[in-house]
Amino acid sequence: MRRLNEDLAHRLAAEYVLGTLRGRARARFEALARSDPAVDSIRRRWEEALSPLAERVAGVEPPARVWTRIEERIGAAAPRGAWSSVSFWRSFGLLAGGVASVLLMAFLLTQGTPRGGPEFVAVLVSPTNEARMTIAMQRDGMHIHNVRGWKSVQDAGRALELWAVPKEGTPRSLGLLANTGGDFRVRIAADDARLRDVMAFALSSEPAGGSPTKAPTGPVLCTGMVGTARKV
Amino acid sequence: MSADDAHARLADLLSRTAMGDRKAFSELYGATRAKLFAVSLRIVRERPLAEEALQDSFVSIWHHASDYARAKGAPATWMAAIVRNRSLDLVRRARETPDIDDALASQLVDETAAPPREAEARADAHILERCLGELDPEQRQSIALAFYHGLTHSELAAHLRRPLGTVKTHVRRGLLKLRDCIQRARGIA
Repeated sequence: MRRLNEDLAHRLAAEYVLGTLRGRARARFEALARSDPAVDSIRRRWEEALSPLAERVAGVEPPARVWTRIEERIGAAAPRGAWSSVSFWRSFGLLAGGVASVLLMAFLLTQGTPRGGPEFVAVLVSPTNEARMTIAMQRDGMHIHNVRGWKSVQDAGRALELWAVPKEGTPRSLGLLANTGGDFRVRIAADDARLRDVMAFALSSEPAGGSPTKAPTGPVLCTGMVGTARKV
Repeated sequence: MSADDAHARLADLLSRTAMGDRKAFSELYGATRAKLFAVSLRIVRERPLAEEALQDSFVSIWHHASDYARAKGAPATWMAAIVRNRSLDLVRRARETPDIDDALASQLVDETAAPPREAEARADAHILERCLGELDPEQRQSIALAFYHGLTHSELAAHLRRPLGTVKTHVRRGLLKLRDCIQRARGIA
């Protein structure tokens, strides 16, 4: 597909968001925005620019049957690819590098020991890209450094639950963690079944005693992709 | 609740929805349904169609909540775009001839004059407000009619009793002026 010059991209994006771009032109622009990140970003900026208009509309209560139909239609289906989707992880800035990579490097340098470094490591960052926890899989168990406790969790009388997120399937609980800063060692071996194909770790806020559903139910506080520690 | 709090709350509900949290999804629906239904209703103008648009949009939000992160912007913007798109699709199918209610058009004048409510705390809303104010009245009216009521160029021309070419020019120049004004204020391009 040919690239648009920026002025034309702006014109099309503006009329797309406004709604005056219709029919096949609309479909073509959608396809273009999907394939060209520069065009997509212009579209997004127009959406942001015009969206305050939508906020001014006075609300109208829809009938209750709408929600009933939505529930029927989503049935028992989980959202597609939630835990394994790239965009989900990107929401935590995991693929962005930045602060987390710098921390990861620093962390690896301090963890490296003469008798062989950790099997794998992860730096867990919050949705605001703040590094909150590091995990290193050593021969004698999982070493966790928690930067500090979570006030929201403490105030609400809730618990911290750590999850191993496999490449496919749902997260597996690794148990509850103390909500304080510091170093911990968890007796989980590198060949633990829960760590098979682990892609990332996540920490969620759960009711006291842990998730009642064997899957994360509360807000995810921080997450980190697993990085291999070798050759560093 | 300030605009930032509302933003954070919706973003949290969306990230939990992405993980299959039905309670969060239901809260998300509760927090946004009235505004989104109203947005759709103005475009499709028939309640059954607006109900269909809202239903389709939330089924899509459930399945694609994890894509929200890619959108980077405000959750309300992301969701409103989904509802507007679906509504525009449905109205294209359903509406052969434009049927503009003049009461809606006069209401529009009120909307342009009214201070934004939830958006009050947001600088963006103020910028848009000011920039809309800099447009010629006909440009502003064309843009507002298209945005709120999903009118096409020809529907705008019929409603405003102006030649099609003139209306297209109003929309294009109005948007261009809007962009330049917003760009000056905060850098849209």
